[in-house]
Amino acid sequence: MPKIGLIFNGVWSQYTFAKAPKYKDIFELLYVYDLSKEKLDGMDALCIPFQSNQQALALNKELLYDFLRQGKKIFIEGDSSADWLDARWENRPINNYWWVTNPENPPVSQTDYTHPVYNGLKPRHACWHTHGAYTRIPDHASVIQRNGNGEAITWETKHYGGTLMATTLDPIVEHGIQQITHLDNYVDKLVDYLVGVKPQGKFKFDMASFN
Amino acid sequence: MLKAILISNNIEGLENYFQSNEKVSYEISHVTKHFYPDLSSYDLLIVPNGSDQVAMGKIKDKVKDFLDEGKALICCDGWFTNWVPGNQWRMDNDKKTIDIRYFVKDDPHGFFKGLDVNEFIFSHGISGYWACGYIVAAENATVILEDTWQRPIIVLDEKTTNGLMFLTASGPLGDMTFDGKESKKQSSLVKLYQHVIDYLITVKKQAYA
Repeated sequence: MPKIGLIFNGVWSQYTFAKAPKYKDIFELLYVYDLSKEKLDGMDALCIPFQSNQQALALNKELLYDFLRQGKKIFIEGDSSADWLDARWENRPINNYWWVTNPENPPVSQTDYTHPVYNGLKPRHACWHTHGAYTRIPDHASVIQRNGNGEAITWETKHYGGTLMATTLDPIVEHGIQQITHLDNYVDKLVDYLVGVKPQGKFKFDMASFN
Repeated sequence: MLKAILISNNIEGLENYFQSNEKVSYEISHVTKHFYPDLSSYDLLIVPNGSDQVAMGKIKDKVKDFLDEGKALICCDGWFTNWVPGNQWRMDNDKKTIDIRYFVKDDPHGFFKGLDVNEFIFSHGISGYWACGYIVAAENATVILEDTWQRPIIVLDEKTTNGLMFLTASGPLGDMTFDGKESKKQSSLVKLYQHVIDYLITVKKQAYA
């Protein structure tokens, strides 16, 4: 089974996601303070979830770009830091309630549904809320999603050898929180895109696998 | 004034929610590979939402000693490691958020006095947005807020240690007055944190009286 390393900042939602029976054989938690070339070499892809420690990631910048140079994929969600990513992320108010107050105006206004992660997703499965926006992305990157102001929400580049995909959505963390219950759609497409595995069934929390 | 130590794992925006004011002086302790903070000079340990629970698990004994010295802990996170004496947070997604309601059960110090509990239940009409899971409370702890299924959501524990623990089931709170003063415009979440701080200041004054 291919392995996706989930860079872990000790946050409960990250832990809950990785320990769920549906994903526990695919994802391996990599504590952000214990990263090493040896640990990353054993992974086929990496996910950097929302609520990560951007300072600690910057200290491991060379490890991350070396991983990409091997032709592998890295997915980063939520916020990021220009200390290790050639892009500028900026915070924005979070709209969790658009689907009640203004359902015709979701936080994302444009989506490239030809991208493998988004291909086949319904609009409501392609965006639930965003955590900020990118006001600058690398020249070599292509935009997959934009908000109503034209700012990049999701983008991707293959410039570094592998694939670097960044989004201000937070599918990993929100799936772990389980207040939004339709994220199997997005995350399962993401897993397939990263390592060619199609997870089956619906996310279920299991206390036995939690500890 | 309380001297507080805020544990930070550098998540975006965290420190904006805990600005020093006339009631509380906050110092930040950043989690690192060799995290082992000296808690001895503080009155209050704050573990906010989104904290590194692995790091907290490594200083479990230090937290117990801190509390046994009569000091206070505010934890507003899902502590999946067992570092909080006598009390354990539990993840659970069996219940639908649309069915979640909260009820004040036992509030001996009036933390919810003048607050609207609906502000903890609903955001823009959507229920179940604030806390996650529930707390398995210590036998002698006070359950301040419980949910639809009588599960503890906010717990005050003044019995398990010599100190005080104010715990939420991952329901975020912060010092959002920015000057320590309460006003009518503030949300009930902001006021709840202030009421806890006011109580801790009273307890500290009594200890030194």
